[in-house]
Amino acid sequence: MINVKKLTQIYKSGKGIFDVSFEVKEGECFGYLGPNGAGKTTTIRNLMGFTNANEGLAEIDGKSCRSNAAVLQKTIGYLPGEMNMLDHMTGMEFLNFMGNMRNLKDTERRDKLIKRFDLEAEGKIKKMSKGMKQKLGIIVAFMHDPKVYILDEPTSGLDPLMQSVFMELIKEEKERGKTILMSSHIFEEVQRVCDRVGIIREGKIVTIENIADLNSVNRKKFVVTVGKKEDADTIVKSSFSTEKIDDYRVNVSAVYPFNDFYKMLSECDVKSLEIEYVTLENMFMKYYEGEEA
Amino acid sequence: MNATLFKSNIKSNWVIFVFIFGMLMIYVSTAISMFNPENADAMQAMFDMMPEGMIKAFGFVGLGTNLTTYLAGYLYGFILIVFPIIYTIITANNLMAKHVDRGSMAYLLATPNTRIKVALTQALYMITSTALLMILVAGVLLGLSEVIWAGHLEIGKFLLLNLVTLLVVVTVAGISFLSSCIFNDTKLSLAFGAGIPIMFVFFKMVGDISEKVEFFKYFTIYTLLDTDKILEGSGYTLVISLILAGTSAILYILGIIIFNKKSLAI
Repeated sequence: MINVKKLTQIYKSGKGIFDVSFEVKEGECFGYLGPNGAGKTTTIRNLMGFTNANEGLAEIDGKSCRSNAAVLQKTIGYLPGEMNMLDHMTGMEFLNFMGNMRNLKDTERRDKLIKRFDLEAEGKIKKMSKGMKQKLGIIVAFMHDPKVYILDEPTSGLDPLMQSVFMELIKEEKERGKTILMSSHIFEEVQRVCDRVGIIREGKIVTIENIADLNSVNRKKFVVTVGKKEDADTIVKSSFSTEKIDDYRVNVSAVYPFNDFYKMLSECDVKSLEIEYVTLENMFMKYYEGEEA
Repeated sequence: MNATLFKSNIKSNWVIFVFIFGMLMIYVSTAISMFNPENADAMQAMFDMMPEGMIKAFGFVGLGTNLTTYLAGYLYGFILIVFPIIYTIITANNLMAKHVDRGSMAYLLATPNTRIKVALTQALYMITSTALLMILVAGVLLGLSEVIWAGHLEIGKFLLLNLVTLLVVVTVAGISFLSSCIFNDTKLSLAFGAGIPIMFVFFKMVGDISEKVEFFKYFTIYTLLDTDKILEGSGYTLVISLILAGTSAILYILGIIIFNKKSLAI
């Protein structure tokens, strides 16, 4: 559905994206991960047909994003990374404006979304908080029931409750067969909803991975906090691969089945046991550490 | 054209329209009320007391006893040039460059409207709103003249004068619009979009002061608004109108094409 091939766009500053290639199949949810300034938004601008790439192609549904922008927009739901709306309007005026620009007659879906996200649409956009603007942006992106979603850091500014409302919505849309590309710098949300993830660093794709593969990794990392220093030492001396954080906390890496691990813990004064299952983050860090070197 | 976008332009730009129209009304009503066919000589005497260069710089020349030439000298030499360009400079910048600079253009282009359609809508708004401003002013002048000084105004010539003035203002607005289409940054858009029209006004003022610096008139579009020649009723009006209409068509079309081609960092 979305096809980016050898896309290169270099800004005057020398930054940009270089030889970026990836594909998002119909019905797939693709996470686009990278820190600020890595080139996520630049890629998205090309998919929206805003920018002229130096080289390569960006296609949606087999059509060039730049030359068929207006036609493609009928089926795209876009959430920009920055909420720069028509500030002089109220939220409702803006929703009506965007609806009319799209020739959207049916407002049922829109009104449901307003309720779902608890949007206070009557206030002037100028006076809205960042989170409220984000909700407004989400509704604009979703209200016309598009086939393809292009979402640039969709959860930024949302409180935890709204983040989970949003994640539910993404899951529903995925079940309805929609194609989703969402950029993020938060590992967890991508891991929760996406099928695949592409990691971009300094304008280059470093890796593209299957989330399912990552989640099925048998090795888990635990953080054990104990009440006695001796217990921490016992754990360190065990056969597991461990790493002491401080006198009372130890990182333990164990492989399924975990019986031996639990047996050992049952003899210690365990105050808390956390599972660090954010393998994506670990992987992410691995790519980032290279940056400093 | 996109009617939704056009309507939203009215909502976000009417204040400056009303403000400029109001300012013009003050001058228009003053001009009409100061006219007096009997004591036009006294008016001329008052102007004679002022430094000649200053009067010329502000375009108050050859006021005469005829209401038509009086209005042409009093209003069409300076006031009906300066105030409309304030409107066109600000509006042109708002219509394109500001949307790009602030990022709201991303929303406009995230709808199934081509860039050409968006830019064309903005160009049409620029032209029609500017034309409306000038037509309203001309209409008020015509109305007031007929009510207060019935029969004094040579309506045919007056309308021709307004036609050329309208075309000059729309052309200068075209320069600002083109600049607004070219630059992604409001600062640059204004540097050229306001800079060039202001330079034109400045050159006109300087060129009018004395014959020694008359050559400045070759560097300003306002020289084409030669009220004397227009009121003579010669073929000048037709030629100049065609030139102005052609030039502005090129400016607006060029703006739309450039906007369609350029890379937007939004």
